[in-house]
Parts: sequence; structure tokens; C-alpha cells
Amino acid sequence: MSGPAGAGGPVPPGVPPTGGRRGLAAALTPDPAGGPVGVPPTGGRRGLAAALTIDRRWLFLAMGLAIVVPLVVPLGLPTEASAPVKANFYAVEDLPEGATVLVSVDLDPASTPEVEPYFHASVRHLKKRGAKLVFVTLWYQAPPLVDRWIAKTVEQATFPGDRPYKRNVDYVWLGFREGKQAVMANMGQDLWATFAGHAADGTALADIPMMAGVHRLSDFALLVLVSAGFPGAKEYVQQVQARYGLRIVAACTAVSTTDLSPYYASGQLLGLAGGMGATAEYEVLVSRLVGLDPKRGNGAMALDALNIGHVVVILAIVLGNVAYFVGRRKR
Amino acid sequence: MKKQLPLILGFVAGLLAFVERYVPAAPMRSMQSFLLNAAMVLAAAAFILGAVNVIQVNAPIIARRREDWPYKVVLVASALIMFLAGIKWDRLGGAPRPPAVTAAAGDTSIEVVADRDDALVWFAPAPLVRPVAPGTYTVTVRALRAGYAETQATVDVKPGQRVTVRAWLPMLWGPTGRVFTWLYDHVFAPSNATMFALLAFFIASAAFRAFRARNAEAALLLGAAILIMVGRVPLGRALSPAFPAIADWIVDIPNNAGRRAIMMGAALGAIATSLRVILGLERSHLGRDA
Repeated sequence: MSGPAGAGGPVPPGVPPTGGRRGLAAALTPDPAGGPVGVPPTGGRRGLAAALTIDRRWLFLAMGLAIVVPLVVPLGLPTEASAPVKANFYAVEDLPEGATVLVSVDLDPASTPEVEPYFHASVRHLKKRGAKLVFVTLWYQAPPLVDRWIAKTVEQATFPGDRPYKRNVDYVWLGFREGKQAVMANMGQDLWATFAGHAADGTALADIPMMAGVHRLSDFALLVLVSAGFPGAKEYVQQVQARYGLRIVAACTAVSTTDLSPYYASGQLLGLAGGMGATAEYEVLVSRLVGLDPKRGNGAMALDALNIGHVVVILAIVLGNVAYFVGRRKR
Repeated sequence: MKKQLPLILGFVAGLLAFVERYVPAAPMRSMQSFLLNAAMVLAAAAFILGAVNVIQVNAPIIARRREDWPYKVVLVASALIMFLAGIKWDRLGGAPRPPAVTAAAGDTSIEVVADRDDALVWFAPAPLVRPVAPGTYTVTVRALRAGYAETQATVDVKPGQRVTVRAWLPMLWGPTGRVFTWLYDHVFAPSNATMFALLAFFIASAAFRAFRARNAEAALLLGAAILIMVGRVPLGRALSPAFPAIADWIVDIPNNAGRRAIMMGAALGAIATSLRVILGLERSHLGRDA
């Protein structure tokens, strides 16, 4: 093993480099700041175990490249929708023309890469079905995001044959209410009272024609939940789905997928897009439907980064275990 | 009474919420609605308590220069700035100024004058037409950046008339205002996203250091995790259609079985705790003296 690049001559076996920690040789030795991330070899630095004692910064670099490079140079692997995503798609397709749909956007900026593609795709899909849209959020971090997403996808024509939706005519943005499950339960009983009879811009709901027949959650043909955690899709199911027999589809972050999977299996969620992969699958389905290029969507483009990122994690697990078993045998 | 009143309130509120589910009478529903509204008001009021608590906890630390006091200054100052930015100061001066519409002889057209260089103008129902045909038009003027007022005027253009719409787009305050939006876009959102993005690097490091097949259970978990990861991305499907099928099976069968057991156990526990609270057997939420 050679010494640190640019630090002079070779380093004797067993002696950690004392100069700069640049280069592969330095990277394959223990990190004085954070310690080695592999198994510390008991003997000399020769052998597989020592070679697998990788400085964590190389892992960080590999992960960074795995995320950035595919975004610049897309792989374009074919995407096929899974059963819960197809179920989500067909739940929207089954909507009658001009139905009123509630879209609850419960997220923060951190979760946007995972669920934002779903929001835009589902809004396009709902517009394609001619649906009237009512937006709410139960997360205080969400309103600025919802405002601009509405301006981007709802108020603009974004696919051939689309038209800009007009505020308080084709869609209503009710805004944020604090209270978590209490708000959900209240919306189930009286949506108007929950939002004090006004939309987010101050317009009285009584003055908005599309709200005439919409007084509680059961008046919606479908609930679309863009959910990044608590309160979110799980709480909607627990608080109002079974009680009022609501039709719900949801998108969630990858870590929440296993939480929501039982509700999809029981039919309480008609469809489920869990994580970046699934939201990209939904985006591809909708893009094909509305005549957009499926490969140009944000979700589809991020899928390559997800692919390679997963490969890095799997390789890290495999390398870590090889190092572990080799080190254990030596000891 | 200090102990009895909270217990009575808890009993009545809990009983009403429970009975309402099984008694579909209108008075029960309105009672439940009142309780839910009260819960929402209390939840909102908790923010005020939270703010007071933040000051109570951090002010003494700052005053006495205890460990990490500069971070406390940042915390309190950030909270104060966001609080001030969230107030709709522009509404204190009354309603926003409507656009002024004047008509004069000239070519048949609409002229829009705004007090901002980056103003965007929309004409409806026609697309952007200048000059226009005689008729009624709705002119919307808004700033390119978020956080400024949007204004709208309906104008009637007669033949041989130039109608001038003079629009004022003042900076807004409050949750949709410029300062709040700027802080959200340039401080909160990047910080929030950065914290979450670090997870990718943390996972990579943890996968190498900690995810070891030390025993049979850990090996099982490890194998399931790898199969789920491979099966959930297009790469796995490209390698073999078996990967997504295996991932689906793991999520649908063993995962759902385990999740259901946990959820039902938690639900039974919640029911038992709720009953204890309603009946006054559980008093820990009332404080140490109860």
C-alpha cells in the first residue's frame, strides 16, 4: 500500500499516514476524526480486512456521485407500474366527469423529491378527468409550497388539451388548519365550519358555486392524499375513512409505505404510491395518458439516482459484511 | 375542586365523543362538532404556549452565557423574525389600492402601467392583444416574484379609445408576503431539505458499519432489506422480474401481518388508556399533584 498521494514515500505496513489524508491509501486507513468504518484489522494492514476498512468519506463520495451523475446523464431504464400504483391510477380514471375531489397536501420541503411528482401528476390526471379540486393542508410548513404548485400546475395548462383552472371557480384552496386529527374529524362532519366558512384568500365558501354541494368529506368523490408523515394518510384512514366510507388514494414517503400497506391490502386505500419509485411510476402512467414525454418528468428523472443510490447502499452492505466475516475469522 | 374539575371535564368530553359514534341524533353531532372546534382552538393556542416556553427555557441560558448559548440566540432570533414576518403589516393600513382606470381618445387599445418593472400582465378573455378590439376585458397584473399584491381590473374599451390601467403592486406581509416567502425559500426550505438529504450519506455509512449479519435474525433482516431495495427500483426489474415479485410478497405478507399485529395491539392499548382517562383512573396527564 502506498502512502498518501503527494505526501512523499510509502508508508510502512501498520503505520497510519501522518500527512494529509488525501488519496486512496489514506482513505483505506482509520479516520482519526470519526474512526474507521470497517473492521479494524488485528494484525498488519495487509489482507482483505484491512483493504475493506474504508474511510467513510469515500462512501460519501460514492453516494454523492451515485445521486448527481444519473441526474446529469440519465440511464432511462424502463419503468413499469406496480399494482398499488395502477390501482391508484384507475381509481382516478373511474371518477365521473366533473367530480369534486379533495387533495390534502401534507408535507414539508424535505419530502418534496419523493411526493411532489405525484402531486403534479395527480393534478394533471384530475384535470384530464375534468375534476373540480379542493386543496387543504394540515402541515404548517406546506402552504407556501402548495401556493406555488397550484400556480404551476393548476392555474397553468400543462399538457395538450389542458386549460388553466380559475381560483374559486374550478378549484378552491382552503389553506392550513392546526389540530391534526381533530381537523380531519371535523372535516368529516362539517368542512365549512372547519375553515370558518372561508377559502384561504378570504372568499366566503357560500360565494363559490363549486362548494355548493360540498359540506363534508363524504361529499367528495375521492380524496387524494399527498402525505409525508404525521398527520397524513394513516390518520385520515383511522379518523374518517371507515366512518364515512370514503374513497381514498395516497402517496407517501418510502419509509411510510409499510405503515400504509395494510390499509391498501384491506381496501381502505384504493391505491398507494409509496416512495419516489412509485410516484415516478404514477407520473409515467399519467404522462402517457395526457400526451407528455414520460422520461421528462421530475420523478422519472430522479429514478436513475434512486437506482444507483440503492446499488451503492447494497454494495456498502455487502462490503461491510465481507469485512466483518474476514475480520472475525482472523480474530 | 382543583382535581375534580379536570376529571369531570375529561369524563364528560370523553363520554360525549364515545356516545356520539353510536347515537346519530343531531344534538350529539353538534356537541361533537363543538368539541372538535374546541380541540382545534386549543391546538392553535398551544403554539402560543410553545413560544412562551421557548423563551422561558432559552432566555436564562442566554442571560447566563451557559453552554451553547449562541445557538439559543439563533433559535430565539429566528423565531422572532418569522413571527414578525408572518404578521400582515400591510393590512394595518386598510384595503389595498385598486387599479386606476382612465380612458382617453386614441387608438383602440389597453395600456397597462405598473409600479414594478417585473410586472406580468394578463388580458382575458382574449390572449395578449395590443391594440384590442372594442369590448370588455379583464386585466390582471401581478409581480414576477411571490410576495407582492396582485390586482385586477375590468375595463370597457370603446372604439377610438385608449384605456390606461395604472396598477400598484405593493409588497405584502404575512404568510404570503415577500419577507416570509423569501425566508421560507432561502432559509427554511434549503435547511429542511439539506437535513433530509444527509440521510442518503448517513444510510450509506450505516449500511457499511452497522448492517451486519451477526446472527440468523440479522441475516434475515439483511436479506429482506436487500431484496426490497432491489425489487423497488427499475434496475431490479431489469435484472429479473422475480425481484419485484419477491419485494411485493415481503411487503404484502410478512410485513402486513406484523404491521397488523402492532396496529391492533396499539389500538387495544389506546382503548384501554382512553377508558382509564375517561373513568379517572389514569391521572398522570393532570400533573404530579393529581
